[in-house]
Amino acid sequence: MPGPGFRAPAFGRPRNDGLCQRGLPHLLTTYLRRHTPFWISILAGIAIWEIAGRSTSAAFMVPFSETVRQLWLFMWSREFIEQFLDSAELFLTGFVLALVVGAPLGLLFARVRALRVGVEPYIMILYATPMVALIPFILSMMGFGFAPKVLVVFLFAVFPVLYNTVEGARSIKPELIEVAKSYRSSEWALWREVMLPYTLPFIMTGVRQSIGRALVGMIAAEFFLSATGLGQLIMGASQNFDTAGVFASIFLIGLIGVGLMRLGLKIEQHFARWRQ
Amino acid sequence: MTSLQTTAASNPGTAAAASGSEPRIRVKGLGKHYGSLEVFRNIDFNVGEREIVAIVGPSGCGKTTLLRCIDGLIPFDSGEVLVGNQRVTEPIAGVAMVFQHFGLFPWKTVSENVAYGLRMAGAPKAEIERRVPEFIKLVGLAGFEQAYPYQMSGGMQQRCGLARALAVGPNVLLMDEPFAAVDAQTREILQFELLRIWEERPTAMIFVTHSIEEAVLLGHRVIVLKGRPSGIHEIIDIDLPHPRTRDTLRKPRFAELRERVWSTLMREAREAEFVLER
Repeated sequence: MPGPGFRAPAFGRPRNDGLCQRGLPHLLTTYLRRHTPFWISILAGIAIWEIAGRSTSAAFMVPFSETVRQLWLFMWSREFIEQFLDSAELFLTGFVLALVVGAPLGLLFARVRALRVGVEPYIMILYATPMVALIPFILSMMGFGFAPKVLVVFLFAVFPVLYNTVEGARSIKPELIEVAKSYRSSEWALWREVMLPYTLPFIMTGVRQSIGRALVGMIAAEFFLSATGLGQLIMGASQNFDTAGVFASIFLIGLIGVGLMRLGLKIEQHFARWRQ
Repeated sequence: MTSLQTTAASNPGTAAAASGSEPRIRVKGLGKHYGSLEVFRNIDFNVGEREIVAIVGPSGCGKTTLLRCIDGLIPFDSGEVLVGNQRVTEPIAGVAMVFQHFGLFPWKTVSENVAYGLRMAGAPKAEIERRVPEFIKLVGLAGFEQAYPYQMSGGMQQRCGLARALAVGPNVLLMDEPFAAVDAQTREILQFELLRIWEERPTAMIFVTHSIEEAVLLGHRVIVLKGRPSGIHEIIDIDLPHPRTRDTLRKPRFAELRERVWSTLMREAREAEFVLER
């Protein structure tokens, strides 16, 4: 029963650690205390990059400042934006396809044991295979179009989603499935009301892992199938000894990858807020 | 052992007759195997329209399995279960179960959990909006509508589980050791809460427990499961008057009945130990 001093309305908005009530100076010191090692590490990394870049030939490596300057120039280059959007299209198509196929298939595997046991060896083999090695095969089967490149991104990205979904969905407490059955849930309602909400945080873990792999797949497809997008840009810059262009492109891909993974983590935490 | 079983099996339904109506649940010759392990056999008993039957037995005697068979959650190998005139082969409407570990969906709030059964039953939205607050209030959770299970104590979680079961308006309640996972004081509070709610809305109820005291306090009859495979060892009429309150616990008759169930179970426990030693 609720105790006398209990503020029931606080429920539903879990884990606000009350920073906002203590004023700005406190907020600032807390932030600094938590993130000082982070910023020291970042600044040190930039410093080392800068020094290393300045003390080697521009043909091998460019300093941080030069990379950022090149990136800034790229932002205003029409060709770069076009190539960037080209890559983004490839990445998103392959990645969304991986999610749309991986997550439902994972739930199905978790629900139908015979299917999982039957298909698992193939999935394990494919998961363990270096996808780059499959690219020549995909090339000879499907040629140079958009579809084979999407397939490469898809193959890079699908397995972490699939794998995490299966493992997540299998860890549902049997009691919750029993509750659903006892309340005469339909199979569709069981998926919608129980399996999917329970598994969402696991799916998001897979998604985060997939983001990195999909970016690798994107560049690999652009390198080894028809050269387009950022992959083409990197290769072109590399052949012209435009080291700044190479660095700026790679740096940008890294930043996007980190940003997307952070976003994925936020979404994962949102869906996992009921886990205690 | 066989003679005991036959004498015990000869008196099902006496209290059901006393409650003055057709039995709501009829369990006839129920038997269940897990592979080569026979869990129970020849389970026969009835539960009246407004009767609480408590089932006690040592752990591992198949009480919970029996309850799941009656709910239609798991198949049985022989016999049949009738609820009203309906044969149970899968969970049926009008029967609600309360689970030992509450069985709440942790991503749903109290309101959403209580609404779950109604939504699965296809109740119209207006009815859900009317009934959910009503039952949250009935179990004493008003003010906690938006709380998630992890924010509540075990006792409050089970109140929520109870509200979810009651909200569908069941005429049969199946209770699977519902208070086994909460602390002793809360357990006592919940027992009397359950009695209060049952007096308000009497249903047929099967209450599985390993607490003798709880069985005697709640049940109109107490079924003692015994043996390997287990069968009904004895059905004990609990002739304590209703409504039962804290005073009931102090009555000499309560102590007598508790002793009777206890000695029956201890005889069982010693035999179980004997089997293990061999």
